[in-house]
Amino acid sequence: MRANVWSGRNTVQVENVPDPKILNENDAIVRITSTAICGSDLHLYDGYVPTMKRGDILGHEFMGEVVEKGPGVRNLEVGDRVVVPFPIACGNCWSCKHELYSVCENTNPNSGLAEKLFGHATAGIFGYSHLTGGYAGGQAEYARVPYADVNQIKIEDDLPDEKVLFLSDILPTGWFGADLCDIEGGEVIAVFGAGPVGQLAMASALMMGAERVIAIDGYEYRLAMARNKAGATDVIDFSVDPDIVEQLKELTGGRGPDAVIDAVGMEASHGHGALHAIDRVKQANRMESDRGHALRDAILSCRPGGIVSVIGVYGGLMDKFPTGALMNKGLQLRAGQAHVQRYMKLLYEHIKNGDIDPSFVITHRLGLDQAPDGFETFKHKQDDCVKVVLNP
Amino acid sequence: MKMPRPIDSTLHGVTDYTVGTALLTFLPKRVDIDGTPAGSQIRAAGAIHAGYSTLTDYPLGVVKAIPFKAHLALDAVGALALAATPFVIGQWKKGLKQWVPHVALATFELSLLAITDPSGKGDFHGDVEAVRRANSENPQRKIYEGPLAVRPGSATERAAAA
Repeated sequence: MRANVWSGRNTVQVENVPDPKILNENDAIVRITSTAICGSDLHLYDGYVPTMKRGDILGHEFMGEVVEKGPGVRNLEVGDRVVVPFPIACGNCWSCKHELYSVCENTNPNSGLAEKLFGHATAGIFGYSHLTGGYAGGQAEYARVPYADVNQIKIEDDLPDEKVLFLSDILPTGWFGADLCDIEGGEVIAVFGAGPVGQLAMASALMMGAERVIAIDGYEYRLAMARNKAGATDVIDFSVDPDIVEQLKELTGGRGPDAVIDAVGMEASHGHGALHAIDRVKQANRMESDRGHALRDAILSCRPGGIVSVIGVYGGLMDKFPTGALMNKGLQLRAGQAHVQRYMKLLYEHIKNGDIDPSFVITHRLGLDQAPDGFETFKHKQDDCVKVVLNP
Repeated sequence: MKMPRPIDSTLHGVTDYTVGTALLTFLPKRVDIDGTPAGSQIRAAGAIHAGYSTLTDYPLGVVKAIPFKAHLALDAVGALALAATPFVIGQWKKGLKQWVPHVALATFELSLLAITDPSGKGDFHGDVEAVRRANSENPQRKIYEGPLAVRPGSATERAAAA
């Protein structure tokens, strides 16, 4: 089959690779009909996530048709149309029983590596380094889905792929980011990053009843999408004025947003002068793994007693973490890879009811063979790129 | 064939600060020229380099006063001046350590310049035109036209109804 594989820093290529096979009785093989490039794939592409190997198949946002299943799979039949969540969960461990699917205790065969870095292992993830299990990803014609009874949602109507594909990651991730903010109605929510996850976090916050949603980014076209499609009520363009903390205070009468969502992660680019230079140099020299301007500014701008929700991906360690602000302002810091399986059914219902159409983020739809150009276009923000969907 | 220039302004800045700091701190001792005129010259080169880097108009500059292309010109002039210094003042006669570090650093700097993209864009190697041709979406339409893609308050309403 054809698959998009990691070939070193800033290089991916579409190659012929062996077809996946059923390895365990709970596996299913899915013929992929739609897949996408995620913003977090760029961290792999840029070489900031350790344990990638040449030839690793990328991709953790995909859907398709079941073409084969192991004898232990009960909930699926060949021919079923499914969306596959990015974290691989067993469904039976303590974490899964508590709906904490992204920290499943059984699906990461390289748990020793993760334990060294994080203290505990996290769940396996499709196409996301050997730190998360080394599973083959979904930017391919076929993929093996372990624990297939747990790791899919069946699409039983004729909604097009584009409307449901993002149940795999970015819609539940955006929703999770907003859910962590305890929105009850009337809040001001600031979202750092108007990439695909940030857009869907803004939309989710609005659906939950937030009164104002402030989008923060450095690209005008992304802020335009936030305003026109995701429903942002205010925008901050840090390419015009980099002092985000001050602007957020001005927009909120000096108090600061009730909650702030960091949808940026480890490669923040809006830093200020010397601090940004130091972070950039240290990260490039592998002296720190995470550039944390977004998280720093999120903590500094959030109102006292507020919530900072972190859904942008971080990989290891960051310097100059504002512990003083976090503690003295009494903030709650909440974070995580989204527990996608927890939200899939709910969000599928919202899509079917017309409450949200997540396909608004798709600006580019290409064939699988154009994945390398798709990565470059996405990374360098060319051609007003927000989200690339690939059709194998 | 066009020469590849994969170093963008950010990566160039990373190199500026990394090399500048190394020259200013541990490198003279490491190559055993600490306390000699050669050591002082290397430290001065590091300080000057890091200094005008902070004043450059690129993502890692602090005060963006010097255009990136002017920075690159300063790099070239500085590299040539550093390489020439031991020969102009005659210290090259005192042994290899009194001139090899200067020439090595100048060679490194000029090599870096040769693969730095003066536009600052650097390692972009995608074919945007091919992407535009193949793209079956219209980014402008998706971003700027049509209604909101979300119904505010819908989750609260449905939760209340349930």
